Amino acid sequence: MGKVILTPDTAPAPYFVKVEPELGFQKKAKLEKAAKNSKPETKKSKKQKKTPKTFPISYDFSGDDFKPGSKVRAGKFNLSHGGLSEDGTGILLSGNKPSARIRDPFAPETGRNGRAGIQPEFRVEMYEVPHDAPVLVRIKASAVPGKDNRLPRLYFELGSFRGAGVTDQKEAANIEITSTESKVYEFVVQGANFPFQSNKSGRPSYLRIFNDYRRGTSKLTDEELPMLKIDWVEIKGNHFETWPTPQRKAILFESSNRDNEAVYSREVISAFMERAYRRPVTDLEIDRKHALFQKLRGQEDSFEATMISTLTAVLCSSNFLLISEPAIERRDLNDYELASRLSYFLWSSMPDQELFDLAAKSQLRKPDVLLAQVDRMIGDPKSRGFSENFASQWLDLAGVRRLAVNPEYFDFKEQTKDLFEEESIQFVHHVVKTNLPITNFVDSDFAMLNPELARHYRIPDISGGGFQEYPLEKASHRGGLMTQASMLFGNSTGSETHPIKRGVWVLERMLDDPPPPPPPNVPDLPEPEGKDEAGLSLKERLFEHANIDSCRDCHAKIDPWGVAFENYNALGQWREGSSDPLVKPEHQKVTIDPITQLKNGKEIQNLDDLKNYILTEKEAQFREAVVHKVMAYSLGRYLEFSDRSAIEAICEAVKKDGDSFQTLIKQIVLSEPFLTK
Amino acid sequence: MKPKSWHLNRRTILKSTGVYLALPWLEGMSADKQAEPKQRFVGGYFAYGVPMPKDDAADRMDHGWFPVGEGKNYRAPAMHQSIMPMREKITFLSGLSHPAMRSTSSHKGADYFLTGADILKTYEKQSISIDQHLAQTLGADTRFQSLVMSSFGGVNRPYRSSTLSFDRSGRPIPSQNKPSEIFRRMFGSVSESEKNALASRGSIIDEILDEANDLNRRLGVEDQRKMDEYLTSVREVELLTERSVKWQSTPKPKIDPTGLELEADPTTPREYLTVMYNLLALALQTDTTRVATFQTACEEAGLTDQFPSAVGMAYSSHKLSHEKSNYADVAQYIGFLNEMYADFIKKLDSIQEGNSSLLDNTLCFYGCATSKTHKAINYPIILSGGKNMGFSHGSHLKYSDDVPLSNLFVTIANQLGGPSNQFSDSTADISEVLG
Repeated sequence: MGKVILTPDTAPAPYFVKVEPELGFQKKAKLEKAAKNSKPETKKSKKQKKTPKTFPISYDFSGDDFKPGSKVRAGKFNLSHGGLSEDGTGILLSGNKPSARIRDPFAPETGRNGRAGIQPEFRVEMYEVPHDAPVLVRIKASAVPGKDNRLPRLYFELGSFRGAGVTDQKEAANIEITSTESKVYEFVVQGANFPFQSNKSGRPSYLRIFNDYRRGTSKLTDEELPMLKIDWVEIKGNHFETWPTPQRKAILFESSNRDNEAVYSREVISAFMERAYRRPVTDLEIDRKHALFQKLRGQEDSFEATMISTLTAVLCSSNFLLISEPAIERRDLNDYELASRLSYFLWSSMPDQELFDLAAKSQLRKPDVLLAQVDRMIGDPKSRGFSENFASQWLDLAGVRRLAVNPEYFDFKEQTKDLFEEESIQFVHHVVKTNLPITNFVDSDFAMLNPELARHYRIPDISGGGFQEYPLEKASHRGGLMTQASMLFGNSTGSETHPIKRGVWVLERMLDDPPPPPPPNVPDLPEPEGKDEAGLSLKERLFEHANIDSCRDCHAKIDPWGVAFENYNALGQWREGSSDPLVKPEHQKVTIDPITQLKNGKEIQNLDDLKNYILTEKEAQFREAVVHKVMAYSLGRYLEFSDRSAIEAICEAVKKDGDSFQTLIKQIVLSEPFLTK
Repeated sequence: MKPKSWHLNRRTILKSTGVYLALPWLEGMSADKQAEPKQRFVGGYFAYGVPMPKDDAADRMDHGWFPVGEGKNYRAPAMHQSIMPMREKITFLSGLSHPAMRSTSSHKGADYFLTGADILKTYEKQSISIDQHLAQTLGADTRFQSLVMSSFGGVNRPYRSSTLSFDRSGRPIPSQNKPSEIFRRMFGSVSESEKNALASRGSIIDEILDEANDLNRRLGVEDQRKMDEYLTSVREVELLTERSVKWQSTPKPKIDPTGLELEADPTTPREYLTVMYNLLALALQTDTTRVATFQTACEEAGLTDQFPSAVGMAYSSHKLSHEKSNYADVAQYIGFLNEMYADFIKKLDSIQEGNSSLLDNTLCFYGCATSKTHKAINYPIILSGGKNMGFSHGSHLKYSDDVPLSNLFVTIANQLGGPSNQFSDSTADISEVLG
């Protein structure tokens, strides 16, 4: 166990930086001198000072410097490619501007963080930032709308220079700015979550602001893009609104017994255990941990240190680490167990006070109360936890991470993989939140996209920032989960398509009809590399692979489902005919043939056809598959034969209600398997 | 800051004479075991494999990995020049690979290099690595059962492992990547509060186990299995704690860190790899551990992917590994990694232990799990040292592409750990490496 960090009696001194960039333009000469004189001092002494001090740091550039290509450095902040607002009260940042060379909106973005061409940015450099404490960032900003009232996005990240041209940073905020009046936007972030500079005192940490509105795949001109106006920026490290911190006060709370250590320690332990175990605790359980406290008290330095050790034992307990529903025979869950089951299902987190209160009053098992709670919980931002974890497990989003993109085939930015995963999570989340029918998982007339992903898929006219819902046109060849790169890439070889993997994925994930595992020692589908296989078409290779009696039967069941995806290359991009122009030249020649025949004789022309087939002839099987997946997720166990009748009843109710996803969730919550152990 | 020339000089002197270590206490520490020479194992791995010219290409000796010719009369390509002074203490092996993973096409090598497990489709069958297998016996009498290092740290994630070592249940063992922290653990002083914390940890574990045992009896089968998993991990912490308590009263070796660049990080590959290899040598020399692994880079984007900067190249090592025609750059880069490794082997050989060298009491296994471009067959492998455990060197041993690498692990386990006739998917042993 590492060092025990105890809370000091007084709050650490705040660390404060304020930057008013426009001052640099107005009082250039004056400040130039002042900054020169004060610079060595401000760098070093900030940390020790108790009273916050304001540093209007900016100087040394003329208006001419804001031509593309210039970079003006003023020690404590950088402004690249920004401009001064007309009234002289702030700086203006436009979104990314493609460099003059890039005319094709679909050309791969090559800039840092995937932001093509020139990214105007405003960067504040800071030394010795306290990196394990809350940071308050206040930014006074306003919007200068672009064409058709397009609005800018205020994005900022915190990070540091790691040397050798390497930087490390993490997004802290990305919001749309709607007000044309200047307003102060406040953000509190936990410093420990950001890669501040820690061991290299000579290198600065930084805060970097830019306008995240992207031209994307649209044809907007520079003048039509929205601008972000920044008046000033304030950064306050060691931002403690109260001291001790609320977290500490929640554990070591006020009590009339505070001076009586024996009594107070028991109070603290008992309150902490109830939260950690998510239920009332027995006297016996408290006694045990209190006895541990007393035992440790002699060998530790202080009350607080002993308490940390004791609470560590509580957090190592199986009662905290595991969800405890002790039972040998089937029984009803009690109210607290139900509260946990519900909150880990819909929030991936512990119950909140309202759920605890309902459990304490034995109200939670009432159907109307349960249903109202489901509505409330889906409405809460924490429901993102459901979408994230359920989508990851159901769709096997980890597949994206298991695979490397072959650089011989594609120029690919590793960060794009994040977007592949995020798209599917956003999609599932959208269906949950807006209560759409589950048939959207098979096919939808919308997609969740951001401009970068639109570029990857080559969907035109997408500009803006962040993930949003966009209506789809038929020509985009998108819709539903099966046209998303998470599935298409995750089930490729990283170079080429892999129809067997894609077929297995559909059977397993969409139809809940997994084929048996292959016999041992079967080699993988050979890649069309080398001279031997080069002459073979995909279908010939598939045939060769399965041309053994024991294999043929299963593969007749699997392969056709995957062949229908042949219009989507390894990265999930559309291709047709006899070449794939999105692959590097030496691998472009390929015969694309999605026509296939299912084992039952059904002819399938392409993926649209396959989706149609699922939605019409496999409708019930698909519905049951989704119910099955969500239910297994909610229970945290494999389903058993005894769950059969409940599943059938849920399917019936879901069908009746137009396949609504929220109905599906509610029916599961009301079902017998959910309410029992 | 630009390093001053005298800094460099001092380091160079220290490196060549090996004087940064005070020796006398060493003999005293191991007095009871002096009769038997110690047995040690080091597993090393470098990322992404070696793209190389065809066997009949003109630049074969300039840019290839595998030696030309078999047996004693082989010729080694240029990238090995730094290790060739050790010719009589090293063996090149070619042809070996792990059968279950031969069809894998991407960068999962570190995950199975030392385990040989079949993790092609799922991670469920991940199993113990050879170093941890050996540590069960070789690790009994030292402060640490093993030392697991990588330049990435931690375990990263399945299929992009940043550790070579896996425990009995196939769980990854976190690796250490900070030189200062490795040094502190091995040779730093123990504070009063650390001692207290260790004592408290013992009491905490007692309480957790007691409580869990009470709970255990009221569970169904599936829950019982989960509970057992939980208990197993608590018991492992218990064992580690017992070991720490036991060793607390034994003073740590006193090592002067002067000359070790403990603040180096992967942004300066040469300095970083040098200090990591030096720490590894120190760990063995001071008998702090007898089993170690070091993964020099992770097959993942990040700082370690920029190692080619050490030889002035701006490409990532992943990009280099996909080279298919001009092998000069990648050969120069692999040559750099080989040079770092050769310095380590030479260092071990320069340290006297009993009547022979530290290298003679240490078997070093080094290589990667892909050759050509991401082909998971015919691993590039160098075996060094271990003379006192029966290993004999000076040859290039060539095997056909269907021989499991685990066969070599069986021989290693036999010579170091105790009688074994099976490791992972082995089919025999490889006795040609023995004298």
